[in-house]
Amino acid sequence: MSVTERDAARALRTALSRGGDWGELFWERHDVVTLTLDDNRIEDAITGVDQGAGIRVTAGDRGVYANGNVNDGDDLLAIAGRAAAAIADDGGTHEVAAIHADELPRPSVVQIDPRSVPIERKVELLKLANERARSTDARVHQVTVLYRESVQDVVVANSDGRFRKDTRTRLVFGVLVTAKQGDVLESGYKAKAGTEGFEMLTEEAVRETTDTATRLALQNVAADPAPAGTYTVVLASDAGGTLIHESVGHGLEADLNLKGMSVYSGRLGQKVASDLITVVDDGTDPGRRGTQAMDDEGTQTHRTVLIENGVLKTYLSDRKHARKLGIPESGNGRRESFRHLPICRMTTTRIEPGTSDPAAILASVKDGIFVKGMGGGQVDVVSGNFAFEITECYRIRDGKQAEPLRGATLVGQGPKLMSEIDMVGWDLGYSVGTCGKDGQGAPVSDAQPTLRIPSVVVGGKVTGA
Amino acid sequence: MSEKLANEAIVDHAVASIKSLRVDGGEVFLRDGQSTTVEIRDGQLENAITRGERGIGIRVLRGGRVGFAYSSDLSPDGIELCVTSARDIASVTEPDPDVSIATQKVENVDLGLYEAGIDDRPVDARTDVALAVERAAKAVDPRISGFRKTTYSDGTMTTMIATTAGVRGAYRETYFSVGTSAVATAGEERQIGYFGDAKRQFAAIDPEAVGRRSAALAVGKLGARPFKTQTLPIVLDPYMGMSLLGAIVPLFSADSVIKGKSLFAGKVGTQVASAAVTIVDDARRPGALRSAPFDGEGVATSTRTLVDEGVLRGYLTSLKTAKKLDHTPTGNARRGSYASPSRIGAANFHLAAGSASPEALVNGLDRSLRITSLLNLHTIDPISGEFSLGATGDYLENGERTYPVQGITIAGNLTSLLASITGVANDLTFGAAGLGSPTFVISELSIGGV
Repeated sequence: MSVTERDAARALRTALSRGGDWGELFWERHDVVTLTLDDNRIEDAITGVDQGAGIRVTAGDRGVYANGNVNDGDDLLAIAGRAAAAIADDGGTHEVAAIHADELPRPSVVQIDPRSVPIERKVELLKLANERARSTDARVHQVTVLYRESVQDVVVANSDGRFRKDTRTRLVFGVLVTAKQGDVLESGYKAKAGTEGFEMLTEEAVRETTDTATRLALQNVAADPAPAGTYTVVLASDAGGTLIHESVGHGLEADLNLKGMSVYSGRLGQKVASDLITVVDDGTDPGRRGTQAMDDEGTQTHRTVLIENGVLKTYLSDRKHARKLGIPESGNGRRESFRHLPICRMTTTRIEPGTSDPAAILASVKDGIFVKGMGGGQVDVVSGNFAFEITECYRIRDGKQAEPLRGATLVGQGPKLMSEIDMVGWDLGYSVGTCGKDGQGAPVSDAQPTLRIPSVVVGGKVTGA
Repeated sequence: MSEKLANEAIVDHAVASIKSLRVDGGEVFLRDGQSTTVEIRDGQLENAITRGERGIGIRVLRGGRVGFAYSSDLSPDGIELCVTSARDIASVTEPDPDVSIATQKVENVDLGLYEAGIDDRPVDARTDVALAVERAAKAVDPRISGFRKTTYSDGTMTTMIATTAGVRGAYRETYFSVGTSAVATAGEERQIGYFGDAKRQFAAIDPEAVGRRSAALAVGKLGARPFKTQTLPIVLDPYMGMSLLGAIVPLFSADSVIKGKSLFAGKVGTQVASAAVTIVDDARRPGALRSAPFDGEGVATSTRTLVDEGVLRGYLTSLKTAKKLDHTPTGNARRGSYASPSRIGAANFHLAAGSASPEALVNGLDRSLRITSLLNLHTIDPISGEFSLGATGDYLENGERTYPVQGITIAGNLTSLLASITGVANDLTFGAAGLGSPTFVISELSIGGV
C-alpha cells in the first residue's frame, strides 16, 4: 500500500475525533537487503520489508503516539482510533485543514536504484573486497564484508494540511579486517556510506575502503599501545568529525536545552568556542549519509549555522521545541522508524574550514599525538564530558608523524575544548556513522578541518605499567 | 480489507508454504508484541506511546544454502512472498554442510516470564510509577534540580517458532521497566546520574530505589576533580561490573571462535581468568529477563558454567556452530526481532558471587578508584579485547571515599582484566540488560588524566 491524501485526511480526522489540538501521521515502507561475507563465504543474505505508521495527537503539552505495522487502510484507522482513545480530553472534535500535497527538492540524486542492480553484482563487490584484503599480507587472518541497502519511503501528513513524501536511499559498504601476529589479534574497520544510489559503489571505492581497513588492522597489530596522559593533539581532517558530533553537536539539540539539560542551555548569543570555530549542521549536503529532503515531521532540511566565530546562534530543533524556545524550525526532528516519536537530531555536522595550512599545524607540534581516524563516541550533555575512540593515531616528534600507536581515546569537556582549539586548517574531511540517542539510531555524517588542541587527556596505557 | 490471520494460522501457512517449494526445509519465527511507554516532564505526563509490532522471519534451506526474509505483511500473499524471497536470496550464499534447522521437540517449561493483567492497567497508574521515581530522587538531596528523562514502560510479547522438521514452540512474556536521569546542581556545576531497572512482574520493580540510586549517582559526582595519570586498583560495583562483563560475551561466541575472531579460541580447559572468576550463563533462571524455554532456532536453552574458577569450560553455540565443533547445541542462537536472523548471544550471563562483603573487599586496599560511570562502552573491540573508556569515579583510601574525579580514562585488555580480578564480593545483582555481577576488584588498570 501507499498512503493517499484521502487516507491521511481520514486517519487524522479519526485521531482528532475525541479531543486534541494537533495531529500527525507518519507512514513508512522500509525495504532492506543485507549481504554478509565472512570466513570466505557469503554467509548471510537477508531481504525484508517493514511497513507501518504512527499517529501523534497533542493536547497542549501532552502528547500521545500510537503506532504499529499496517498493511491496509483499516490497520491505519485502528491506530488512529487508539490515538484518539488515549488523548480523550473531552475537548471535542478538532478540524483537520484541507490536505495539500507539495514537493520538496531532493538534495541527493539517486542515479542507480540499488534495487535494480542484480544481486550477483553486489556479491561480486563483496568478493572483490575479501580477495583484495586477503592477498595483501599473510597476517590478514579474517575478513568480514557487509553490504546494506535501505530504501525508506516516507509520508508525513498533519492536521495543518501538510502532506509530503520523501524517499531515502542509503547504502553502507563496510570492511572489517582481523590481523593476527603471534597471540595478538587486532581489527581494522572502514565503511563507505551515503544517501546515494549504487553509483557510489565503484570498484575503486571498494578497493579504497578495503585497503584502509586492511592497513589499519596490520598497523594496529604491530603498534605500541598509546600512552595515557595529557598531550597536544592534532586532529587531521581525514579523521572526520566525531569530535564535533560528541563535544558540541548533542549539546545543541533543542530538546535538551529546553529542559536546561545541556552545558549550552541559556547561552544563545554568548561566546562558547574559540573565534576560529564555526559549526554548521546541513541536512542538504548532497549524498551525505545524514542528508534528506525533509525531516520526519515533513519540515524541509536546512543549512543551520549553530556557532559562528565562537558565538552560539541557535539550536537544532523539531516542531515542538522550536515553538517552545521561539527559534526557527531547523528540520532536525528525526525518528528511527514509525515506532518512535521524532527527537532533535543532527544530520551532517561540521566545523567550517579555517585559514591555516594543515602541514604547518602538524609541523608546529614538537611532541604530541596525531589523530588520523576517529571511531565511536559518547557525551554526557549535562556536564559536557565526552569520550571518543581513536582508530588511527601516531606520535608527533619534532613536527613530524612518527610511530603508530593503538588503543587510544580522547576525553574532555565540550565548551572547554572548543575554547582552546588554537589552529584550524583550510581542509575538510568527512566521516559517517549511526548516532544513538534515547534508544533510536539515526544515520549521520560529520566533518572537520585539521585542528590543533593544545592540551587534552589521551586514554591509553600508563608507560611502564 | 485483506484477510487477517491469527498467529497460529500465520505460522501454519508459512510452514505449508515452505513445504510446497522444492527446498530442504525451513524455519518460521513470529513475534507479536505490544508495549506502552510514558514519559514524564515537570511532574506531568508528557508523552504516552503505545507500540504494536507483528511480523515473521523465514529461513529457507536449499542444498546447504540458506536465505532469510522478513515481513510485516501477514496476509496469505504477504507470507508466500516472504517465503519465496527467502528461497530466492538463498541462491547467492555459499553451501555450508553444517547449516540446519531444529529437529528435536522442545518441552514447554514455565519459567515465570509472563504476568497477566498488563492491558488493564490505566495510563494514570503507569504515570504514577514514573512520578514516584522522581519524588524519591528529589527526597535524596535538595541539589537534585531536575531530570533529563523519566520513563516507565511495560510490554507483552508472544514468540512462536516452527520448523518443517516438526518442531513447534510458543511462549509469552511480559516486562516492566523504569529509568531516570537525575541532575544535581551546585552553583555552575551540573552532574547527571542515570539508573534504570526492569523486571518480569509489575510488583517487582521498585521505583523509589531507582530514583534514589539515580540521585545518589548525580550528587556523588558534584565537586569532581581532575585526576593524575597513574595505575590503581579498580573497584566496580555490580552495575559498573555488568557493563564491563557485557563486553566479554562475544569472546564466548562459537562463531567468533571458529572464525578466529575470539581471544578464547583454542583455550578450553586452560586458565583464562583468575581463580576468583566463575562465569555462568543461565537461560533457565526463573523470572529472569533473558530466560526463555528455547532459542531463536527452536533449540532448548540450558544453564552452563562457562568459566569455572578461571578455567574456560566451553562456548556459546548455535545449531550450525555446534555441529562444526562437534558439540551439543547450547541454545544460544538469540533473536533480536523478527527482522533479524539468530545471532549467538548470552542469556542471563553473570559473574558468580564470592564470599566477602563488598566493604571487606574494598577496605583492604590502601588506594583505589571506584568507577561511577563509563563512557564509550560500545567501542570496546571484542576481537582485540582492547578497551579505553571515559570514566568518572570516587577516589578511595582504605576503602573510604575521599573525593570524586572526572575527565579520566581507564584502559586495558579484556583478557588481562579477567586475569587480574583479585576479589569478588557476595552481592550478585542482575540489571536491566539481563547481565549479573557482584562488586569486584581489578588489581590494576591504567588511568589517563592530567
